[in-house]
Amino acid sequence: MKHRTFLTTLILFLLTFNLGILLVCVITFKESINRSKERSIGEHYFIVSGIVKDFTALESRETDIEASLGTLLQPYHYLAGDKNASLTLYRDRTLVYSIGREIIPLNNLGELPREGNRLVETQNIDDSTYVIVSGKLPQPFETYAAVYYYDITETILSWEQMKNILFFAGFILSGLLALCLLILLNRLFKPLSQISQTSHNIAAGSYDTRLPVSGNDELTEMSRSFNHMAEEIQCQMKELINSAESKQQFIDNFSHELRTPLAVIYGYAEYIQKAALAEEDRQSAVEFIMLECRRIQTMAYQLLDLANLKYEQITLEEIKISGLFETVRQTLHNRITQKEIQMEFIADFDIILGDACLLQSLFENLIDNAIKACGTGGHIKVHAAIEAENKIICIQDNGNGMEAKDLQHIMEPFYRGDKSRSRKDGSAGLGLAICSQIARCHGAELTFSSHPGTGTTAKITFTV
Amino acid sequence: MAEILIVEDELSLNELVKRNLQLVGHRCTSVFEGAAALYEMECHEYDLVILDIMLPEINGFEVYKEMQGRPTIFLTARSSLADRIKGFSMGADDYLTKPFEMLELLARVEAVLRRTQKHSSSFEMGDVRIDFDGRQVFRKELLVECTPKEYELLEVMVNNRNIALSRDRLLELVWGYDYDGDTRTIDVHIQKLRKKLGWESVIKTVHKLGYRLEGGV
Repeated sequence: MKHRTFLTTLILFLLTFNLGILLVCVITFKESINRSKERSIGEHYFIVSGIVKDFTALESRETDIEASLGTLLQPYHYLAGDKNASLTLYRDRTLVYSIGREIIPLNNLGELPREGNRLVETQNIDDSTYVIVSGKLPQPFETYAAVYYYDITETILSWEQMKNILFFAGFILSGLLALCLLILLNRLFKPLSQISQTSHNIAAGSYDTRLPVSGNDELTEMSRSFNHMAEEIQCQMKELINSAESKQQFIDNFSHELRTPLAVIYGYAEYIQKAALAEEDRQSAVEFIMLECRRIQTMAYQLLDLANLKYEQITLEEIKISGLFETVRQTLHNRITQKEIQMEFIADFDIILGDACLLQSLFENLIDNAIKACGTGGHIKVHAAIEAENKIICIQDNGNGMEAKDLQHIMEPFYRGDKSRSRKDGSAGLGLAICSQIARCHGAELTFSSHPGTGTTAKITFTV
Repeated sequence: MAEILIVEDELSLNELVKRNLQLVGHRCTSVFEGAAALYEMECHEYDLVILDIMLPEINGFEVYKEMQGRPTIFLTARSSLADRIKGFSMGADDYLTKPFEMLELLARVEAVLRRTQKHSSSFEMGDVRIDFDGRQVFRKELLVECTPKEYELLEVMVNNRNIALSRDRLLELVWGYDYDGDTRTIDVHIQKLRKKLGWESVIKTVHKLGYRLEGGV
């Protein structure tokens, strides 16, 4: 693009510039030639009319014209002083008199025009250029012809000199202009090459490359929007990478979760097949196999739930919170009494919009987690309150609590804060992932805050 | 035979490893936590520790650091190269990833025990005695002439006793992967062993599977 602009501009300029010079040259040339011609015609006319007057006077005195030509033409000898001009007089194509340096045979002059008219032409003779004006004298002296020569070699030479100077100057100017044009274009195109370099970098993967923004012109505006685009790309790439990573994490976790039960199932099956076993041993081996199968089954169902929740549209209905908690409390009754846990329930509002089954499962899961976290004689407080015009429900326990590094991962599928305990409880590590999805289905957000030793609070914020 | 400590938090897996090792005559103790494992090692002497890496509270690598270079096989679901290298660079004797096969577990245990000199140099059952170092078999203290393949077959069966071994597997273990023979070769050698040692009832034919050497628990 730059080179094309450069070449086009340069060619256009050179064309017009040189054409201009050429035009000036041609015009001055024609002008000077014409001037010479007119001058010559004038001179010729002046001389001829003088000669005719003298001839007429001589004739009336009946003197021989030819004999007195020398005296007659004496006044015109001034022409010889002017080195450029000369005059020849012919009678019936024979030279009778000449003034000046040059004598040119009349034959060379070609056919003379009829009397009264003059023939004007330029002719090259012996490296010199002449304007030649020839014409017959008027009657009754038509046998005479006067030819006036005017040497314009010098004029042409000086014109040629001028022309050369003009073209030389033009050449230098063109060079200068080309240089200036190149510099100017480089300056103009610099942002473009920067943009192309930057976009190359971005395409090659360094998404944090930006264009320098300075000044206030259109290019700056473009740089700004380019940078904006780069930022967007960077953001989107980051999101993509994150989501790919979390997917990979999910797959890794999933395969790891599958591996343990499969190892157990395969191992016991092989054991039954290959070892000679007592009936009792065989029974317990089969029980282990069934237990692990059930674990895989649970995991499959929960994964399915999770997947369904992501795409399913739920119907919202008005639910009484107190009723909801009563059901949850009854479901978990055994475990609560077993661990001698105190349950406390405070409600500042009573109606909530949602899907009864899903909400029940959500609270069951959260309270179940709280029970697991608590030791014997723990305390769990469920508080439905209104905070900043949003309905919130807090489930607070005074159990073990969690480290901050665990807290940010607990809602990821298969994440286990304590690598083995939750598995012993028989869960697949999907509980909180499902809870978080249920909350999202209700337009709510599930967050956790925790300190090791003091307990954990799960908070569901329903945004209106 | 050898005293083996199994440290694995998953009850079913722990039990499985224990049962398999007991089949070939090892004495096993099961523990489910790192702390309990360390305590157990204080009280008793163990020839080999089978150690899971992902344990609650104290993980396997930390337990390994504490127990001062006892022969150890790491047992883990983490099969990444980085994990394996970490295990080996700490000095583990072997590394077993879940899921594993019974024979693989036994072979690795056997190999580690042999390396650490805890492998018994002879095996006795009834009136038959096998000297592993001298590669000799005695019946009623009289030398029984065996071909090298017969001896190797006998050793494989003894090391994996109480476990049924398929003919293909026996062929692979004794004759090697590249052996191009028939599984009938196995039957012929088994017949010869039974006759020479009077083990018609010890080496059992398992229907549709192969052979199992029973006894010696």
